[in-house]
Amino acid sequence: MSREKTKRNRLQSVSIPTEIIFHIIVGGFALACIIPFIFVIIISFSSEESIRLIGYSFKPLKWSTEAYGFVLQMGSQLWRSYFNSFLVSIVGTVTSVLMCILYAYALFRRDFKYRKFFMFFAFFTMLFGGGLAPTYMVCKQMLGLSDNYAALIVPALVNPFFIIIMRTFLQTSVPEELIEAAAIDGSGEYNTLFRIIIPISKPGIATVSLLTMINYWNDWFLTMLYVRDSSKFPLQYLLMKVQNQVDFLIKNSSVIGVEASKILQDLPGTSLRMSLVVFIVVPIACAYPFFQRYIISGLTIGSVKG
Amino acid sequence: MNAQRGVKRNNVKKNLMLLTMVAPVAIWLILLRYIPMAGIVIAFKKYKVYTADPSLINNIVHSKWVGLGNFKFLFTSSDTLLVLRNTVGYNLLWIALGVVISVSFAIMLNEITSRFVAKTYQTMMFFPFFISWVVVSYFVMSLLDPTSGLIVKQQIANSGEATNWYHEYKPWPVILTICNLWKNMGYQTILYLAAITGIDKSQYEAASIDGASKAQQIWYVTIPNLRKMIIILLIMDVGKIFNSDFGLFFSVPQNSGTIFRTTQVLDTYVYRALMNSQNIGMSTAASLFQNTVGFILIMITNTVIRRIDPESSLF
Amino acid sequence: MKKVLSMLLVLALAIGMLAGCKKTVDVADNAGTPQGGTSTNQGSTNTGSTDTGKTDTKPADTSRPDTHVVLKMYLEGSNVTDDKAVLEKVNAYLDEKLNCELQPIWGTWGDFDQGAVLSLQGAEDVDIYFTCSWTLNEYNQFARDGYYVRLDNPDNDLIHKYGQDILNLLPEVLIKGSTIEGADGYGIYAVNGYKDIACQNCWDVNVDLLKKYGYTIEDIEKADYYSFGDILAKVKAGEGENFYPLLIEGAVLERMVDNSIIVAGDSGSNNLLSYYINPTKTSEQGAYGNKILNKFATDEFKKFCEKTREYYLAGYIDPDMANPEKANDTRSNKQLTGQYLIGTQSYSLGYEIQASTERGFEVAMVPTTPAYVDTTSSQGAMMAISTASKNPERAMMFLNLLNTDAYLFTLLDFGVEGIHYNLNEIGEVEFTDERSNYMPWTNGLGNVTLLPPQKGQGADFQEKFKAYYGNADEIPILGFTFNPENVENEFGALANVAAEYFLPLCTGAVDPSEKIPEFLAKLEANGMQKVVDEANNQLSNFLAAQGK
Repeated sequence: MSREKTKRNRLQSVSIPTEIIFHIIVGGFALACIIPFIFVIIISFSSEESIRLIGYSFKPLKWSTEAYGFVLQMGSQLWRSYFNSFLVSIVGTVTSVLMCILYAYALFRRDFKYRKFFMFFAFFTMLFGGGLAPTYMVCKQMLGLSDNYAALIVPALVNPFFIIIMRTFLQTSVPEELIEAAAIDGSGEYNTLFRIIIPISKPGIATVSLLTMINYWNDWFLTMLYVRDSSKFPLQYLLMKVQNQVDFLIKNSSVIGVEASKILQDLPGTSLRMSLVVFIVVPIACAYPFFQRYIISGLTIGSVKG
Repeated sequence: MNAQRGVKRNNVKKNLMLLTMVAPVAIWLILLRYIPMAGIVIAFKKYKVYTADPSLINNIVHSKWVGLGNFKFLFTSSDTLLVLRNTVGYNLLWIALGVVISVSFAIMLNEITSRFVAKTYQTMMFFPFFISWVVVSYFVMSLLDPTSGLIVKQQIANSGEATNWYHEYKPWPVILTICNLWKNMGYQTILYLAAITGIDKSQYEAASIDGASKAQQIWYVTIPNLRKMIIILLIMDVGKIFNSDFGLFFSVPQNSGTIFRTTQVLDTYVYRALMNSQNIGMSTAASLFQNTVGFILIMITNTVIRRIDPESSLF
Repeated sequence: MKKVLSMLLVLALAIGMLAGCKKTVDVADNAGTPQGGTSTNQGSTNTGSTDTGKTDTKPADTSRPDTHVVLKMYLEGSNVTDDKAVLEKVNAYLDEKLNCELQPIWGTWGDFDQGAVLSLQGAEDVDIYFTCSWTLNEYNQFARDGYYVRLDNPDNDLIHKYGQDILNLLPEVLIKGSTIEGADGYGIYAVNGYKDIACQNCWDVNVDLLKKYGYTIEDIEKADYYSFGDILAKVKAGEGENFYPLLIEGAVLERMVDNSIIVAGDSGSNNLLSYYINPTKTSEQGAYGNKILNKFATDEFKKFCEKTREYYLAGYIDPDMANPEKANDTRSNKQLTGQYLIGTQSYSLGYEIQASTERGFEVAMVPTTPAYVDTTSSQGAMMAISTASKNPERAMMFLNLLNTDAYLFTLLDFGVEGIHYNLNEIGEVEFTDERSNYMPWTNGLGNVTLLPPQKGQGADFQEKFKAYYGNADEIPILGFTFNPENVENEFGALANVAAEYFLPLCTGAVDPSEKIPEFLAKLEANGMQKVVDEANNQLSNFLAAQGK
């Protein structure tokens, strides 16, 4: 087994014309991915009047920073929610990924006696669940997940999909001989996992961490179900609260009557909702390179540490 | 041989250690998944409140059995076949396209020499993940709106006539496919990319010493190494063949009735059918049906894969 | 597969055990609490009337009970971030009056549906829920499924014992609207809010624009939908290609033009079932008598769709109106900016004045029928006591007080005088900035006639309000609610069919000569006739029971 570091160079890469084609395809797609976000930014800077007159457009009649002013005016609630989002995302991700690795590692070990059982045990819950009401009752009444941070973290701790993905990462990146070698050295299971496996599985761990973190960051449903205390609202919920109100009133406007349109007029306009999207996306986009380092940089310096 | 004997000696201890590793997740699963699973019986009951002493359990226990009655509404509509066709059709198409495109993207990203550019592309590809379907629907509408849409305006400038996008069912399979790929490719690509990154680099070295070209290296080293990930993701997708992304099928076509022919899927059908009745029995039945089909399909797929390639199977 | 089976077995056992544990806990729980409940019961019966018979004319039992309880109330549409100051006062008052304490749960438009339904399904310890004909915890269905206490149940007759004041105060139509067939028989399952309980659809006219083209409001009053054509044509020609003079809400327009109304129990499924009212005298039977129809098969509907299609093709109707997700946004934007000539609007008293100020031009409302009360409008906002409540008596006492005591109601709705609002010299309410932290939804709280008038409404607002709404006619089938239980499968399929065709037809976006036959065939194939027959069956039973 070669343990020397190798550097990629031009000779080992694809030819230049091929790479140009790659740039066009992938770059083009990447561009397409970002355009709607630019659209969101444009709407967030459009004046409400412009939206009223010509709808959502790349070229608003009038620009305005009103929406951002309004969001910043929320002051303490906004920063509080930022804090909550970070807290929940970080604590949630660390705990969740740790649990995920432990479970996935055991499933990865082919000499684990109950491997198949536990694989099935996790997989089965991906498909079947008791539905919202029973889960809600168990969380709230049995586990006391109500109006506390735990309510925002615990119900999303385990995602069987990530466990299965993590196991597959381990299967692709950890050579069998490594485990055997460790066993001969008399290394305990926890030691093997933390000293040997984790360091060489960084791309997989970083990926699962990233996805888990995004799940926590994007979540608003748990807040809606379990938390009523606004000092514990994460950022995403602030946005969804408004969005859900608007959706509901629109759906029921013909039944609620005059009042619905009155209330709708008092709710924050589209530009405000879009500026909240910007507030939500920017921090996580900034956290992104941290994970990406492990997902992509491993490409340049191919190394297997023993 | 030595190693194996050593392992055997410590077999009990090792298994115990591994059991402590699975314990946290297993306990969580029991509490938050398996206990609530008792609620599945609601699918076979007419859920009513047990007024003498209401509680979720009492209500369930005292509700009347209705057998498969709650499932009927899924099959009695004159549109049932169409709905199932759309659901399964889109899923099959997207599973196939998804694998091909995201694996290609991952390989291409991996081959781009400038790491900075590759990282930038990859970051950009992740943005759709943060944009909800409602926001996507605003964007699509800014292109297709009958009065102010950019594409509509272009069409009118070109030929004087525009497609009535929200009332014309034919273009929607394409629109929905684009939206779906747009939103999910970044996610899948990153999984494959991380899998590629995790490949033991000595394999490439060996191949290049043997004189393999770059294309050959991709074919003989990268793809086989991705095989496990591809198969696992495929199995997962097959399990969700009767489910669809509700936001995509509901918000993006603006809930427009005239295009149901190509936009109605099981999830939207059930939503519209039960929108006002809050019939917890029927909604539980609907998802139980979807998941049971998914479960059976996964078991079949898994068995087949286990025969061909036991290493890659789920269990 | 063996593994699967054995696992399932283990699982079932585990669940069984846990469920068992939970149940015993429940029993223990209940063994404790009912005692408290019974003692309250006895306490109140002792201090109150001793005879158990109907006490129709006696005032409600308002004596202060001996035990202290906490009442939780789940509200809709709130915008409340700081309720400390209000609750302090409310609870001091409640403590003195009823020896209880209120803990409101401030549901919002976005989370109430999900939250309240889960809370009800899981039988949480919430005593009072907002309910109505249009939220997910829909009054008729949830009463049928046993979620709400029957208030006039002969066994305890909460409403006559503790809520007589409400009965004396509310218009009779409201009681009629809330008396339905529920889990405990035919009776009252919630207390109605006294709000804008009558329904009246109007043409919402942009008078400034109308005058610009030399017309007067009389021209609109004289004309009807079918003869708007000339006016619309002239304005369209004058205002240009991107101006759409008719600003309509498809479903409402259809009801206005055809005089059909929603049958309660079918409010959200694109109203498949229709009853036809008498447009000139709403208390009398309409053209079809006391029958429920599949309106899509009527000649009126066909005629209406053809006319609408004509208007649509002529460019009088914005294509956005056929887009269910966008129509509302576009409509309120165009209303605000005056980009319309004639719109559809369901009316509430004083709306034209409010609209004129809001929009900055003169707005007139031209009604198409007199104001009337139907089951749906009478069930617009209600308060029900949960069957899971441990203190239904106290909850009833509280509702009685809330709906009859101006101090309490004003405090809970408007906040504290001096903090959230001040009164001006003629007794009108002027809100302070603090109000933005405490804004419950007024109409969701109950009897709004207890409130002082708001700035601009005038001192006699409540008299006018009561005169308008209290005197509205009731339609002949007020109180009838369709129960879809026997046709649930058909209903689900039909809701999908209606969602496919109804709105595009009502806004003219599709060709009726092609789509109506298709629509009807599909309705038929999915059991429309069965549903209509079932509804008529229920209606004739209802009328027979009413002695009509």
